[in-house]
Amino acid sequence: MDELLLSKVRLGVVAALLNYDWVAFSELTRSVDATAGNLGAHLLKLVEAGYVDEEKSFVNRRPLTRYRLTKRGRSAFAAHVSQLQALLKAVR
Amino acid sequence: MDPRLTAPQARDHIEMVDRILAESHPRLCSGGEFFVLWGVISAYITVLSELVARAALPKPVLWTIPAVLAAGAIFSIVRGAQTRRRVARTSLVQREFFNVLWLTLGLAFVVDIAAFRIFPGLASAAIWSVAEAIVLLFIGMHGNRRAQLAGVIVVVSLVAANFLASNLAAYVLAAGMLGGYAGFGLSELAARD
Repeated sequence: MDELLLSKVRLGVVAALLNYDWVAFSELTRSVDATAGNLGAHLLKLVEAGYVDEEKSFVNRRPLTRYRLTKRGRSAFAAHVSQLQALLKAVR
Repeated sequence: MDPRLTAPQARDHIEMVDRILAESHPRLCSGGEFFVLWGVISAYITVLSELVARAALPKPVLWTIPAVLAAGAIFSIVRGAQTRRRVARTSLVQREFFNVLWLTLGLAFVVDIAAFRIFPGLASAAIWSVAEAIVLLFIGMHGNRRAQLAGVIVVVSLVAANFLASNLAAYVLAAGMLGGYAGFGLSELAARD
């Protein structure tokens, strides 16, 4: 299994990004039900691993940070979920 | 079995993924102002060209067409960039929609400018109607009933223009552009508020 995606928050982040091109940080906190500090740390790991792209900008003088799933992140997610499903199938 | 994750944990993770995916229903945001603008511009060009062809207006008024097209293009590019920067979420469907929109209208634009000998007069206007119908029906395919209706209005205007008297064809096409394309834009703007 993918070491990075063993964390429930990180797996949730990748799932929340799956159907979207770019998603703002504030939206992600709602999707995965995590605090900003906690989510920020998990996102940093995903960005460092190349699973997620980060874009920082200013809109109306307010900072806006958005994230996008990379091809690498998408493949890792698909493989990891398959392995989770295989694990569940094996114990049935 | 992977020692780092137990079966109940794996089930919990899968359930969370399913919940998040079920909650993420990307809605297609078409940007009503673009439709109003280009519906009006295409109708304006169609009617103006017809009036000039029938000598109701002098030929020099045709020079307003490049100016109107340039203004529309500049507005669309600037507004599109502003919108992209502001949105908190952009779905993959949304990105695909913009690709279809720019490709279709871009091709219509190129054909209109570069293939005017093959598509003279009303054929040029009809190309815009076809492009607009494709865009509207694409949005309609993603569950927007107003877009489905608007797409049908544009297609009906095309067919009607073909069978009606030739002196009415341009106006029928323009009505389709206004009622279908610009009308859809107005309905989207009204629904947004």
